[in-house]
Amino acid sequence: MTGHRTLVIGYGSPIRGDDAIGPLAADRLEAEGVPEGVSVVSRHVLTAELVPDIAAADLVVFLDATLHGDPGEVRLRPLHPDARAVSTMAHFLDPRELLAWAEALYQRRPVAWLVSAAGGCFDYGLYELSPALAGAVGPMLAQVRSLIAGYRQGAPA
Amino acid sequence: MSSRTLTIEPVTRIEGHARITLQLDDAGKVGQARFHLTQFRGFEKFCEGRPYREMPALTARTCGICPVSHLLASNKACDYLLRVSIPPTAEKLRRIMNLAQITQSHALSFFHLSSPDLLLGWDSDPARRNIFGVMAQDPQLARDGIRLRQIGQTIIETLGGKKIHPTWVVPGGVNEALTEDKRQAMLGLLPEGLEIAKRTYSFFKTLVPKFAEEASHFGSAPTLFLSLVTPKGNLEHYDGLLRIKDAMGRIVEDMIPPHEYQRVVGEAVEDFSYMKFPFYKPMGYPQGVYRVGPLARLNNADACGTPYADVALMEFRMLQEAAPVQSSFHYHYARLVEIIFAMESMERLLKDPDILNPRVRSRARSNRYEGIGVSEAPRGTLMHHYKIDDDGLITWVNLIIATGHNNLAMNQGIKQVADAYVDGNNLREGMLNRVEAVIRCFDPCLSCASHAFGQMPLAIDLQDASGLVVDRLVRG
Repeated sequence: MTGHRTLVIGYGSPIRGDDAIGPLAADRLEAEGVPEGVSVVSRHVLTAELVPDIAAADLVVFLDATLHGDPGEVRLRPLHPDARAVSTMAHFLDPRELLAWAEALYQRRPVAWLVSAAGGCFDYGLYELSPALAGAVGPMLAQVRSLIAGYRQGAPA
Repeated sequence: MSSRTLTIEPVTRIEGHARITLQLDDAGKVGQARFHLTQFRGFEKFCEGRPYREMPALTARTCGICPVSHLLASNKACDYLLRVSIPPTAEKLRRIMNLAQITQSHALSFFHLSSPDLLLGWDSDPARRNIFGVMAQDPQLARDGIRLRQIGQTIIETLGGKKIHPTWVVPGGVNEALTEDKRQAMLGLLPEGLEIAKRTYSFFKTLVPKFAEEASHFGSAPTLFLSLVTPKGNLEHYDGLLRIKDAMGRIVEDMIPPHEYQRVVGEAVEDFSYMKFPFYKPMGYPQGVYRVGPLARLNNADACGTPYADVALMEFRMLQEAAPVQSSFHYHYARLVEIIFAMESMERLLKDPDILNPRVRSRARSNRYEGIGVSEAPRGTLMHHYKIDDDGLITWVNLIIATGHNNLAMNQGIKQVADAYVDGNNLREGMLNRVEAVIRCFDPCLSCASHAFGQMPLAIDLQDASGLVVDRLVRG
């Protein structure tokens, strides 16, 4: 498969401890280098301005922290547009809501995955990942690279 | 006589958490209407003891929607402490960032928070009266809203290095000069932005007559208007001087240096809200009600100073027979005029040959014990006031947030709308949505941490004096 576009979005607060793993992982992915056609962005929160970029992509991978699971555990799950997953926050949108915006406004439904890592500490004013989560960045990125490679080879998503 | 209290909590599609209570009499008529800010922040207290140079970064955390506004007002207060005039190029660059911030914030307010009411109607099915309803009804409008926000945020990121909490603005100026490639990148965005702004403005003009009834009740009680203006009396968002007009359009205060704001602005507190109640001092509290923000800025300005915005300003003034425009419903209109102005002004500033001048920062140590910075945030005049000791540590802080200035007017507005639309004996969702909608006109930003949006579950209980629930509306 050639000419496909992948968008990787890491999101989370950089001052809430383990919540920062999404943007930190995205930053490391970009620093390590990505194949042509892959864009990487880091965001504090998900906002509507991302919708056109999501709509322009064939594959979108979201990177986030989660409260669920053992600390450091990395999980992968597919995401689908869901207009009911409306966030209660005006400047924070659910990834499934963003996918629904892309579908409603641009008639585009990219393949989408969420790669999450379970965090243990989300305290205010905390600028470091917990040790368990710091060790999860590598497995998260391995998962992302596997998704990108699989998609390029036409693997079912 | 027994009384009943109707509570709307949370108020939806605004920035932050708030509650509205309407006290009803036996006949179901509204007696008292109150807007409650239910969050406590405490920035003014916990900033004490910090070095003043930390204040821009600290106070920018007041808000995740408009951190740029706090960054600018705080740095202006620090400039004042340094007793420096920042380089002209730095001022122009700060202005561009402020206008980009106003663009993205106004776009969020108009397209995402208020357009469901404006496009679908206040009485439409609440399950559909949200951004997805707007997308279904007018997808181009929704795409335009996203694009305008994207343009504003991209300019902020281009200048500041990141979209949220940029640290590029510093006491004395900015910490990096503009490069030619960045200038061209920003200039490339503006024609599309202006086209969207003009298209939306033209579209909204066709909607306004349909809302004549609401406009006559939505916070149309007479108040004063406060804003910055240029030394010539024109529209100003970054610097300038304070002007206050009364409800008849007479200038009652003019060309007041911002550091003398306490001469005209007093602050009161009430036990039912964490938001302060600023008032116009010469009239006293609570009579000294004034409004700030886009409506006040356009009412106070003699002109905008850019071609399309000046035409739009003339049309804005025709919304009623005599100036100033009173109805808070027309905040929506004023926001669209300001987006046009922002696009034109940013282009003008970026095309200024001096914009690439490498001298963008003045350096000094603190030379005053007191610093005051005032600028126009999207929602209105923002005031930062600090006192420091010999070591440059903060000893006292006062922040008057744009939304706070409007507190008295918002309370007045919900009373007016409730009187016009709420029948306590026959509650309908559309009545209560109108009460919320008058608050949305002001686009209040009640905190940075949490922002209630359209689909939050909402239960409204109508209780009699004994606490018995006599009627209930549930949403979400």
